[in-house]
Amino acid sequence: MIPALVMALTGFSMVASSSDEEFEKHIRPLLVNTCIKCHGPLKMSGGLRLDSREALLKGGESGPAIVPGNKDMSLLMRALGHKGDLKMPPKAKLSDKEVDTVGHWIAQGAVWPNADKLRPPSDKHIVSKEQSRWWAFQPLAKVTVPKVNNNPWAKNDLDRFILADLEKQARTPAQPAAKRMLLRRVTQDLTGLPPSLEEMDAFLNDQSPGAFEKVVDRLLASPAHGQRFARLWLDVVRYADYHDGNPKARNPICEPLEAYRYRDWVVRTMNQDMPFDQFIVHQIAGDLLPPPDGKEPYANGLIATSVLVNGAWDRGDADKEKMVSDMVDDQIDLVGKAFMGLTLGCARCHDHKFDPVSQNDYYGLAGIFYSTRMLLELGTKGGEITLQRRPLVSKDVVDKRALQVKQIAELSAKISELDKKTPKIPPTDPGRKKLVDQRDRLQKELLPEPPVTLSVSEGGVPGSLFPGIQDVPVHIRGSYTRLGPVVPRRMPGFFAGDNQPVITKGSGRQELASWVVSKSNPLTARVIVNRVWQWHFGTGLVRTPNNFGILSEPPSHPELLDWLATRFVEEGWSLKKLHRFMVLSATYQQSSLVGMDLLALDPDNRWLGRYSSHRLDAEAIRDSMLFVTGRLDLSHEGPATDNLNTSRRSLYVQTARWDRNNFGSLFDAANPDASVEKRDTSTVAPQALFLLNHDFVNSQAGYLADRVIREAASDNDARIRRLFELTLSRPPTEKEWGVARRLLGNQPKGDPKTLLHDLAHVLFCANEFVYLD
Amino acid sequence: MIKKMSMIPGGLSRREILQTAGTGFGLLALRDLLSAQEPKATIESGNRAAHPYAVRSPHHAPKAKRIIFLYMPGGPSHVDLFDPKPRLARDNGKPLPFDKPKLERTKTGNLLASPWKFARHGKSGVEVSELLPGISAHIDDICVIRSMYADNINHTGAALQMCTGEQAFSRPSMGSWLNYGLGTENQNLPGFVVVSPAEVFQGAQLWASSFLPSAYQGTLVRDLKNPIANLHTGSGSLGRQREKLDSLRQLNQLHRRERVMDHALDARIASFELAFRMQTEAPEAFDISGENKATRQMYGVDSPTTDMFGRQCLMARRLVERGVRFVQLFDAPANNAWDHHGGLRESLPARCKAVDQPIAALLRDLKGRGLLEDTLVLWGGEFGRSPTAEGNNGREHHPFGFSMFLAGGGIRGGMAHGATDEFGWHAMEKKVHVHDLHATMLHLMGLDHTKLTYRYGGRDYRLTDVHGEIVKDILA
Repeated sequence: MIPALVMALTGFSMVASSSDEEFEKHIRPLLVNTCIKCHGPLKMSGGLRLDSREALLKGGESGPAIVPGNKDMSLLMRALGHKGDLKMPPKAKLSDKEVDTVGHWIAQGAVWPNADKLRPPSDKHIVSKEQSRWWAFQPLAKVTVPKVNNNPWAKNDLDRFILADLEKQARTPAQPAAKRMLLRRVTQDLTGLPPSLEEMDAFLNDQSPGAFEKVVDRLLASPAHGQRFARLWLDVVRYADYHDGNPKARNPICEPLEAYRYRDWVVRTMNQDMPFDQFIVHQIAGDLLPPPDGKEPYANGLIATSVLVNGAWDRGDADKEKMVSDMVDDQIDLVGKAFMGLTLGCARCHDHKFDPVSQNDYYGLAGIFYSTRMLLELGTKGGEITLQRRPLVSKDVVDKRALQVKQIAELSAKISELDKKTPKIPPTDPGRKKLVDQRDRLQKELLPEPPVTLSVSEGGVPGSLFPGIQDVPVHIRGSYTRLGPVVPRRMPGFFAGDNQPVITKGSGRQELASWVVSKSNPLTARVIVNRVWQWHFGTGLVRTPNNFGILSEPPSHPELLDWLATRFVEEGWSLKKLHRFMVLSATYQQSSLVGMDLLALDPDNRWLGRYSSHRLDAEAIRDSMLFVTGRLDLSHEGPATDNLNTSRRSLYVQTARWDRNNFGSLFDAANPDASVEKRDTSTVAPQALFLLNHDFVNSQAGYLADRVIREAASDNDARIRRLFELTLSRPPTEKEWGVARRLLGNQPKGDPKTLLHDLAHVLFCANEFVYLD
Repeated sequence: MIKKMSMIPGGLSRREILQTAGTGFGLLALRDLLSAQEPKATIESGNRAAHPYAVRSPHHAPKAKRIIFLYMPGGPSHVDLFDPKPRLARDNGKPLPFDKPKLERTKTGNLLASPWKFARHGKSGVEVSELLPGISAHIDDICVIRSMYADNINHTGAALQMCTGEQAFSRPSMGSWLNYGLGTENQNLPGFVVVSPAEVFQGAQLWASSFLPSAYQGTLVRDLKNPIANLHTGSGSLGRQREKLDSLRQLNQLHRRERVMDHALDARIASFELAFRMQTEAPEAFDISGENKATRQMYGVDSPTTDMFGRQCLMARRLVERGVRFVQLFDAPANNAWDHHGGLRESLPARCKAVDQPIAALLRDLKGRGLLEDTLVLWGGEFGRSPTAEGNNGREHHPFGFSMFLAGGGIRGGMAHGATDEFGWHAMEKKVHVHDLHATMLHLMGLDHTKLTYRYGGRDYRLTDVHGEIVKDILA
């Protein structure tokens, strides 16, 4: 199996004669797998190469490696036998059987068929026609906007694509959504919060044709917008605040304690509308970017790359080499799925079964990440790793503080020296006093400890198998213990094609980042446009946003996807423009309430003949409760808290990898162990138990009752009305009045606060509170 | 006290449900509710999102309907408990006569004989260590696998592999797969319960649903006295809560009326009724105070050494009796209680004392109630321990060969399957990988491990990845 694999990799086929066969079957793979890494074209340890018969005969510093026909005289045999000083391979002796095989080969004259050199293989991976023609791998198509019959319905060109397909099926779009529903929908969609009473009134009273546009622009400019879309992005990049849910149990060396800086950076970039291509480049290679203001360090660049080191890794692995290879895999998987919709990780152990990604492609990329330092220290066997942190202030400041610390220590040492002397030196001694004053002054001037961020840098992890900037060998079946030929660092061959960038210096991350967002790579723009579509419409045009490969279902509207992607790139990769365009469409503004006939025609709503109603996500459920009580703290930035009862937005309540028994998980928040392309919506009794019995909900219901008593007129009806308006963005209907009055009337002796508290609690549990129409 | 209501969802009779379910979809949505009374009800997979726990048909007739996994975190020593090695005793203090595998954590020394005696037990005569007299008494119901092996030498990776099949990345756990595949028989209780008094390495990942819907993740019981979160009404009486739930149901139904064919809304209406019932039924299921004195004594409850695991085992019996699909007990008074790098001679007997009587009681109790025949009991940890010494009184991690045992649910009792080499180092005969164990467990539960798949990220995933052979020799 393995020899055959290696031959396939190195491009040789089986040969006929038995000595030839012996070489091909046993000797070639052995040399390729165990020797030429150090004794080949890339490295010539001891001046020795073992990649051709000639080289073996010539030998290295210790003389010829073999004497054909005489295995006892052959230096190679002594080295393999681990008998003398020279022990090869140095780490692990070959099995006796392998050593015998080499001996036999030498004894038989060391036959080397074709007299060719062993070499790192050329990539012979064959791409099938189906693969090369797959829609997602083609350049963005030039698309013209289709003609439609009902042109007045369309508010923009997006609608013409949707309508054209509906008209082909002789269908018409749904009615426009009612204004109240629409405002609730778009406010939740763009900020993760419900509209306030004032915002609702303003929108209802604004009869101008641009009323909705005004609302959308207001929401996109709101700081809450970045918080909402940051959370959506954090799902994609498997973001977690911590591993351990217990703040007291966290080990600072390996916990991503500064991860929040990345989250805050994403919020800022979303609010500032950083072009999305730049957003990606920062995350892959931000540490290598020149600072825009010319001042080192470029804090946002460093912070952005912390996404590469915030993975679900086994931190205390005794098998550190495997651990590092898993980290590299995590990064390849992330870059593949999050940015390009490619499951590159599938090529770790073998060529990708479905997509045109060879194992060599994988190790071409792996070399880039192996050449990237993500850990300060590997740690001892079974001990914890130390994540790499980099200061966010200039080197001058760091050095200055280091000097101060050193001086203070020196002065303190001198003082304690003096204090050891007999007879005792009194504290009033002028010499001692001078030292103490000097130290105290320095102590006062001491600069604060420099803020740090998790980040990567160039060069591999010291002490690991691949500690510097280097190409790495194929790991046969994904294991670092069985290394094949070395693959040069590069982009996946099929996808880069003629646009393969040349990696001249450094790890290659810069080249990778540029290539991911280059015009020649059509995947990246398609993938993000599809995600944004999913974020607004519930389902992507491609239903698997992390996988655009052969196993994915083709898009429902391929032309629209390409047209949007082209427009997105032309408009400077602006997410805000894309959001605006999508939500201003008539498609987005349709009602979700349609008859059975329409539903039956398209139960999954693939053709967008209505709006798909859906449940709010975990964060929005909690934030909405806080919002309607008037107690929501909208502040930004800072470490996450483990306190669910905080009044801060849910974005700032911790996501911990080892804690899945929390509010977020209960309501389907993303599991941060791996990239999440889409959250589930589960409906289970423990959610109901939480809403019925948890202190958080109960307290919010109390606060809401307080607010209503404070703000509404003092009769029950006014209060009931206000409760409905706050929670459901509308007054109660006649029948709902009945239900509410009955609930309040059931306890004739109850005080108004308790009764309103109960009704508020019921409304928090109501389907309408958590479902968006 | 409002308990066992005759009206199901907030006052509607069965007939009314059928009537209000005008489109027919409403009916489907309420079947989860009804299935508490009619556990046979099954629901098409298309409706899975709205009804994650509905009972689903297995691939073939199952031998076992539920599983209790007695997990000993840290790695119990096979050569001291279930795998007697005369050669190890004879060569005590001598070096291991062959190369150790490359994969090692720390260098261990020479061979260390087990300080404990083994004896044959039962009609079958399977040998077990003197440290486990209680379990030994049930040996004729037990199949010891002595040829287990795994791939990872660390707790975290090995425990992940034992519980999810994968050592490095997040995958759904065994219990999640089973609930995904089969649903659960009692809609008033979670289908997958994990009892772990202390935190264990890798924690929640061991019972995570990963990419399966989160409804399938294990429900963690940390505090044995307060097992399920949010079960107690924070405000007011159950009676007032019932009134609030009636109002809620009415509001939800008014809301529902304008929206055709929405399973999700129906399911959510039902979920509140289930929650209400759980408040009264779940505490009872977890509460062992109702057990009589003899039973409590049998499990060792209230006796200091055995109290904690005794309570866990008794809780497990009550749960499986009530239709919980998968119960995983961690013997975790603290993290890694079975990780005997040192203090082996003192600590291993102490751990055995803590679990032996409770486990024996569980087997006896299940058998007495006729539950053992379709309940699979599994015992083991993430790996075994090295036959060579760490220090002079300890053993290192050892995934190369170790023991686990199974009992009940379609397992041939009174047998030892497979063997390690003379020293207890490598699994040699009839080797059983963790994937094989998983395949066998699924098989016993009526599931074909190659067919129980979930599509995620463009690929069909299985508990056994691309591996797994059913261990036919151990099937009854």
